[in-house]
Amino acid sequence: MYFQKLLLVIIHKFNGERSSMAPYYLLKGKKSGQTIQDVTYFDLHPFFSLYPKLSKEEYNVEISTLLSNNLIEEKEAFIFITEKGLGQIKSMRETLYNGWDLRGNEHIFWRRLDLTVQTLSHFQANEKRFIPNQKDNAIHHFVRGFLLERNFQSSTFGSQFKNQLMLLLENPKLLEIHRTLFVYRLSGYKESGLTWEQLAQEQNSTILDMKFQFIECLHILLSDITAEKFPDLYALLKDIYVLTPLTDSATKTSQLFEKGYTIDEIAQMRFLKLNTIEDHVIEIVSANQSFPIYSFITSEQLQRVLDISKQLKTKKLKIIRENASDLSYFQIRLALTKGEEVHG
Amino acid sequence: MDKLTEVLHSKFGYTSFREGQKEVIEQVLARQDVVAILPTGMGKSLLYQLPAYFMDGTVIVISPLLSLMQDQVEQLKMMGEKRVIAINSFLSYDQKEIVLRNLAVYKFIFTSPEMLQNERFNKALSAIPIAYIVADEAHCISQWGFDFRPDYLRISKSLKNVKDVPVLALTATATKNVVEDIKSTLLMKSPFEYIHSLDRTSIAYEAREVENQQEKIAWIFGRITSTRGPGILYTQSRKKTEFYAEELRNRGIRVAFYHAKMDQDDRILIQQQFQQGQLDWICATNAFGMGIHKGDIRQVIHDHIPTSIASYMQEVGRAARDGKQSIASIIYSSSDVEQAFYVAMQDFPGEPDIRLTYQHQLEGMELQLPETTARILNYWKEELTEQETIHLFQNIKQKKWVEIQSLYTMLQNEVCVREQLLHYFDEQLLERPVHCCSKCGLHIQDIFQMDKEQKIEKIELNWKNRLNSLLL
Repeated sequence: MYFQKLLLVIIHKFNGERSSMAPYYLLKGKKSGQTIQDVTYFDLHPFFSLYPKLSKEEYNVEISTLLSNNLIEEKEAFIFITEKGLGQIKSMRETLYNGWDLRGNEHIFWRRLDLTVQTLSHFQANEKRFIPNQKDNAIHHFVRGFLLERNFQSSTFGSQFKNQLMLLLENPKLLEIHRTLFVYRLSGYKESGLTWEQLAQEQNSTILDMKFQFIECLHILLSDITAEKFPDLYALLKDIYVLTPLTDSATKTSQLFEKGYTIDEIAQMRFLKLNTIEDHVIEIVSANQSFPIYSFITSEQLQRVLDISKQLKTKKLKIIRENASDLSYFQIRLALTKGEEVHG
Repeated sequence: MDKLTEVLHSKFGYTSFREGQKEVIEQVLARQDVVAILPTGMGKSLLYQLPAYFMDGTVIVISPLLSLMQDQVEQLKMMGEKRVIAINSFLSYDQKEIVLRNLAVYKFIFTSPEMLQNERFNKALSAIPIAYIVADEAHCISQWGFDFRPDYLRISKSLKNVKDVPVLALTATATKNVVEDIKSTLLMKSPFEYIHSLDRTSIAYEAREVENQQEKIAWIFGRITSTRGPGILYTQSRKKTEFYAEELRNRGIRVAFYHAKMDQDDRILIQQQFQQGQLDWICATNAFGMGIHKGDIRQVIHDHIPTSIASYMQEVGRAARDGKQSIASIIYSSSDVEQAFYVAMQDFPGEPDIRLTYQHQLEGMELQLPETTARILNYWKEELTEQETIHLFQNIKQKKWVEIQSLYTMLQNEVCVREQLLHYFDEQLLERPVHCCSKCGLHIQDIFQMDKEQKIEKIELNWKNRLNSLLL
């Protein structure tokens, strides 16, 4: 139910202007020009890249259910929310995701925390050998450093850490389900965490519902962790927030722009298609407001696109292009991306 | 206490060696080549772990299975050994760079046959002192077997680079022919051979043929609800693991399912729950087992005929690691024979696959074959003609069919199961244990108490209590 409602919220935001796959690519965090620009057009930052592992099969099952319950409908390859669907989300609590800034990195925080708690719990029981849930060497390395800096074998550190977790979980923005998921996914001495399937069973819910609420829980908590309030948890946040949320390829393109090359030159140098470099520009502009775009589009042209979009209440490229045939699709996309930022 | 036993105690926490361990270790220390065959659960890893502490240089362990590698690295780390690394595709480029530059700091390096083909890695290896090389799961070397891994053959090339390093080949199952293959491929010079009996005397065998699926399921539910675990119920499909787990849970059993499609995090949690006694039963596909170090597994049940006798022995061998009486039950019907063959052939290249590989210069992978199958095909493409390869695979297929048939016969006829299993691996039964097998006569109630499992207690989830029980 929860995941379906989340889908309804997202479909509602897409405003009937995208296909039923658009929410899928958004949740997976697809790094294509289309998905990235949509994030800005439709103000979908919170939901970007929430669950890269989402499979098409799982997703299609949920969409089919929504369709057959008449909560959404499909018209000419576009997906709409119905009145009934709107009714479902009207009373829904606002979701508190922060996908754009975190990009899945909340799981790195979680893995560090999981290993920290597992270690402290075992050491408190005087058991210094255990099999860690986390297998990644980078996580081991980080947590070892973290614990060694903190005199973790002292009797006080474990309780101090627990108190911080208690306080963190008192956060009034959390629901009871969030707290439950958080603590029952953790493992300790003679207390293994529960699997998603076990939690879903316990809550009479589905695995996807559990996973998405868990992610929401992490997003809520991470935004609350400050160095003053939670000094130790804050240390586990190191390098979690994305500084340059660009793909590697777009980063390279961006560097070449800084050196003064044109789109065509960059495409040639990198053996890439022009389209791809244009996608990069959209991505760069989404991430960086101050990126100069006036070599691609004049301010008059930009304003014209925004006016048409506003007047016709649409962000469909085709319709806008019909009313501004002198502009390329790239220019229109650029204008819409920039426009959202100017206003948003 | 002699030096070996001292280290056995201080590093590994055991007070005495198991049968055969000391002999093998002494040979390794004498820089002899060794082939050692030991059944699952009889302390194979110790054979290469312990001598390392008496010798200078690094131990290179070549292992064909990534999961096995990870597990062994973890075991060593648990014992406090920090100088251990697995060099495989899990390492990122940067991580690999750092590791390669500091190769000499490691006491144990685990790697795959494929990775050994990497030139840089090979060069780095030849620059450090090596104590000895271990070929784990060495039966994969044999070209004629079902588990053949072509890259294993190429190890010999790498071995030539590191001259005069002794080799220790380990496996749980190898017929005489396979042993010969191992010796020649690994360029062994008159190696010391140690063959441990494959017999696990504390495991009783129970074979029961049923008419149909309903009867099978009824028997399994009856057994699991009236006896004690911990136990593993092996089945052949993901769906069935979920079905059994759900039904048993409804009957109050503390049970979970396990298969390869689950998230890695969740698989680890299930392993740990089982290990720590939060679960009594696991309904699993053959993906379950590696990384389970639980001594007190009392029952292993198969609801099907396995695809090979070796893998059956391996799965059964997860029981009774603590040496206490346990039972392995197999419940089958005649239609399971066909099914076993079908499952065994799933990843097997058919004639059209082979022809396409030859005619179109296609890489096996483009034919949507599993990676290992593709590698095998690509290997034979270089060695044999199309017709010869087709013939070879027909042969292997035929052998597989015979193997499954003979397993079925072993279960069905009137002859002792234990005797037949041993015979299959060229071994004689010397002493029959009291609880031998269902054909020799078994009294289940003598083997374990006929009482019920600890039932599921419905506990209210409470986050504060939980956090308080995790940390003081």
